[in-house]
Amino acid sequence: MITKMTDRLDTTSKPRLSRNLYRVVGLVGLTMLLSLILLATFPQAVAPYDPGERVGRPFQPPGPEFRLGTNDIGQDLLSELIWGTRVSLFTGLLVGLVAAPLGTVVGLVSGYRSDVISVLLLRLVDLTLVLPFLPLVILLSAYVGQGQGKIILILVVVSWAAPARLIRSQVLTVLNRPFIEAAQAIGSSDWRILRLHIWPSVRGLALVQFVLVGSASILAEASLSFLGLGDPSSKSWGTMLYFAQASGVFLSDAWRWWVLPAGLMITLSVLSLILVSYSLERWSDPRLRAR
Amino acid sequence: MASWASGCDSNAMRFETGSTRRRWLRRLAEYGVTLLLAVSLNFLLPRAMPGDPMALIAGEAIQQMGAERIAELRQVYGLDLPLGQQYVRYLGRLVRGDLGESYRFSGGRTVVEVLADRFVWTFLLVAVSMTIATTAGALMGAWAAWRHGSLRDVGLVTFLFALRSVPPFWLAMVLIPIFAINWSLLPVGDSYSFPRQTGIRNLIDIAHHAILPIVVLSLSYLPTVFAIMRSSMLDEVGANYVRTARAKGLKERTVLLRHAMRNALLPLVTTISLDFGQLLGGVLLIETVFNYRGLGAMMFEAVKSRDYPLLQGGFLLFTLGVLTINLLTDWLYGYLDPRVQGGQA
Repeated sequence: MITKMTDRLDTTSKPRLSRNLYRVVGLVGLTMLLSLILLATFPQAVAPYDPGERVGRPFQPPGPEFRLGTNDIGQDLLSELIWGTRVSLFTGLLVGLVAAPLGTVVGLVSGYRSDVISVLLLRLVDLTLVLPFLPLVILLSAYVGQGQGKIILILVVVSWAAPARLIRSQVLTVLNRPFIEAAQAIGSSDWRILRLHIWPSVRGLALVQFVLVGSASILAEASLSFLGLGDPSSKSWGTMLYFAQASGVFLSDAWRWWVLPAGLMITLSVLSLILVSYSLERWSDPRLRAR
Repeated sequence: MASWASGCDSNAMRFETGSTRRRWLRRLAEYGVTLLLAVSLNFLLPRAMPGDPMALIAGEAIQQMGAERIAELRQVYGLDLPLGQQYVRYLGRLVRGDLGESYRFSGGRTVVEVLADRFVWTFLLVAVSMTIATTAGALMGAWAAWRHGSLRDVGLVTFLFALRSVPPFWLAMVLIPIFAINWSLLPVGDSYSFPRQTGIRNLIDIAHHAILPIVVLSLSYLPTVFAIMRSSMLDEVGANYVRTARAKGLKERTVLLRHAMRNALLPLVTTISLDFGQLLGGVLLIETVFNYRGLGAMMFEAVKSRDYPLLQGGFLLFTLGVLTINLLTDWLYGYLDPRVQGGQA
């Protein structure tokens, strides 16, 4: 009874599951991600047909010839799915690769300095964050057009602000620590302080942001393509879903082999990135491991 | 002595209200600037793109217009004037509530009319789903944090991670064949049936059409709410007042619901309002899948038929919605947290 009571009062007790759970999670996520990247790099090695070619009759159900059947104009759905990996995954990762560093630089500058430029940058960050994400993306892409490069550009324009905000608040926290004051007192240059004292506590966060922006961009690209705003020349998973919806796939059983796999692939890629980011977060900040 | 004290008090009060008012004015100015940015974006996009801005302002409708009508519209928009004057003219029309005419839903319908028509349906979906997701997500998040590190916590977190990775519109595409077509439990498409029912039957009919979209939308909001609540609650579970409450012998449920959760709710409110711009987009795709009569499906139609005035109007209304929510939260925050006067988080 006594032990039970004190047990209840001991609010600092260790979590019952291993603190190293994040390693397992990261490994699972990384394995998923690497296999997807492999698939995206060498789709021709696995895909049975050329996804652009009409190889069968339209709307064929799955069989030995076409494992996932054919679409409304007789293209092999499995090949489309495999080649779609390249478009969907690389779009997301590329957006992350551009937007996260951009946001990091903006966050560092607006956090470290307090002049007019950084105030303006901060305003811009806030304004971008308030605008509704998807309606903005749709509006922009309706005007700018539908090439793959344009989609990436639009997603970068709307994705850099969130990392900037986070990095900035991290910089502000670090700036309050005594070692920054000490460094300034002995006359270290701004560049040296940024590189040696601030960057180490920001880089983990920047990496996490890259992964998170990537996962959000995969979803955003799928949404755009689903609305028919994707690049018509390179089909992504979202484009597949767009054509499925457009050809009234619900009225037959075709949704099982057309809609289900494409959505599952999107889910898997987003999930792999989320798992990796979860693990990275804990790897870079040990205080989080208990959570 | 008493008069001195009361005088001092009223002075303090005056100072307090003064600073609160100033803060509110600043807030309002900030929101005004954001709105102006959205408006300017609408103004600049058709004019900055290559090609005839007229085609980008009127959309596909231009193909059906005579040369006279086009010349007349050119006059209305002042397209041969310098950009600054065009901008002033544009703002003037906006202030008068003129967002142009829709081509897609033509028959002389203005964009404002179409928006007013569609707004109610989107509002219905978002309001109900947000309420469901916030309640369920907050309870689940609080509970997971309370049982932090247990197998059930890890299971819940895993499930919600997976849910977060699912594209909501795909979830809708999977639920429609199951519930609406194979089992014929629910109707699919539109927000009411034809011919329209009357009275209470009408309400039942509307609810019937809204169930599936609301389920999908709530599920898409749930992971965000859950994650925020769980992490906000984790800051509370180790707090001293929680230990005190337990030491007093209070029931676990009371400590959780009455003490810890109350404090954890505050960050939830702010974070949801900050994320609202990101969350709102989901309704757009889900309405499209369900062919629901709201703003989202309208934007999809507008994209398909290059109905630029309608597209811009939709974007503006979504922005206005986000700003309203933010403003409301600021105001609400003052009530939720007595330490805060006028919402300084």
